[in-house]
Amino acid sequence: MAHQAHSYHMVDPSPWPIFGAAAALLTTSGLTMWFHYNTPYLLIMGLISTALVMLQWWRDIVRESTFQGHHTPTVQKGLRYGMVLFITSEAFFFLGFFWAFFHSSLAPTPELGGQWPPVGITPLNPMDVPLLNTAILLASGVTVTWAHHSIMEANRKQAIQALALTVLLGFYFTALQAMEYYEAPFSIADGVYGSTFFVATGFHGLHVIIGSTFLLVCLLRLIKYHFTPKHHFGFEAAAWYWHFVDVVWLFLYMTIYWWGS
Amino acid sequence: MAALGRLSRLLLGTAAPRSPPARGMAAAAHEGGGARMWKTLTFVVALPGVAVCMLNSYLKAQHREHERPEFVPYTHLRIRTKRFPWGDGNKTLFHNPHVNPLPTGYED
Repeated sequence: MAHQAHSYHMVDPSPWPIFGAAAALLTTSGLTMWFHYNTPYLLIMGLISTALVMLQWWRDIVRESTFQGHHTPTVQKGLRYGMVLFITSEAFFFLGFFWAFFHSSLAPTPELGGQWPPVGITPLNPMDVPLLNTAILLASGVTVTWAHHSIMEANRKQAIQALALTVLLGFYFTALQAMEYYEAPFSIADGVYGSTFFVATGFHGLHVIIGSTFLLVCLLRLIKYHFTPKHHFGFEAAAWYWHFVDVVWLFLYMTIYWWGS
Repeated sequence: MAALGRLSRLLLGTAAPRSPPARGMAAAAHEGGGARMWKTLTFVVALPGVAVCMLNSYLKAQHREHERPEFVPYTHLRIRTKRFPWGDGNKTLFHNPHVNPLPTGYED
C-alpha cells in the first residue's frame, strides 16, 4: 500500500456531511411545521438526526486522530484555523443581538414610556444571581486553565480534577440561569425588553450548554487516555470555546444586566 | 495588524512541539509551575469568590418578602401577536403563575 508524500489528511468517504445537511433541512422545516401547523414530528426527526450525525461524525474524527494518527502538526494547524474562524463567526452572531439591544435601549420609544427599562418592567438585580453567575464563569476559566497546564505537565489526577470542576461550574451556571428564567417577573413577550433580554441570554445559555457538553466529552476522553502532554487539540478547542462563552457573558452582564437596569 | 499576526502565530504555533522555556506567564516565572499556580488561584481566589457571591445571593433571598408588582394592563407588555406553539398558546416557555401575569392579569 502506498504512503502519502504529504502531511495532510485525505479523509475517507463519509456519509455524515450529506446526512447532516438533510438533518438541518428536517430541523428547519420541522420548526416551520411546528410553529405554523402545530405538528412537532418533523422537528423531532430533525433534532434526533442532527444529534446522531454529530455523535457519529465526531466519533469518527476521534478515531481518525487518536487511534489512526492522521492528525499531523499540519492537520492540527488547519483545525486551529477552523476553530478560530468558527468562534469568530459566533462572535459576529452575538454582535447582532447586542446591536438589537442598543438600538432599542439607547433611544427608547414613546410606546415604552420613553425610558429604559420600559415602564412596567422590573429588571433583575445585577448584584444578585447574575453576579454569582459571573463569578462562576470566571472561576471556570481559571479551572479550565489549571486543567490545561495539568495536561501539559502530564499530571493526570489534577487534570481530571480540574476539568471535572470546570464542567460542574458550567452545569451550576445553567441551573441558576434556568431558575432565574422561571423567577423573572418579565417574559420574552414583554415587548422589546423581553425580546432582547431572552434572545441574547438565551442564545448565550445554549452556548454554555454546548460548551459544557464539549468539555464533558473532553473529560471522558481525558479519562480514557486520549490526550498527550504535547497533543490535545480537542481539549484546547473546548477551552477556547469556553473562554469565548465567558467573554460573551461578561459583555451581557455589563450591558444588558448592569447598564440596562 | 501586526498584533493580529502575533495572535494567530500564538494560537497556531503551538501545533509544533515546544522547546522550553515556552511563551506564557507560567513558564517565565518558574519552570513547570504553571499547573500549581492555576490550582492555587482556583482554591484561593476563584472558588472563594463563587462562595462569597453564593452567600450574598442567599442573604438577599432571606430578607426579600416576595413583593409582586401591581398589575397594569400596559399595551406594550405581554404581547400576544401569535399564539405560542404549546399548551393553550397563551403562556411563555418559563411561565411562572406567581410572578408572570397573563395579558388579563395574574392567574392567582
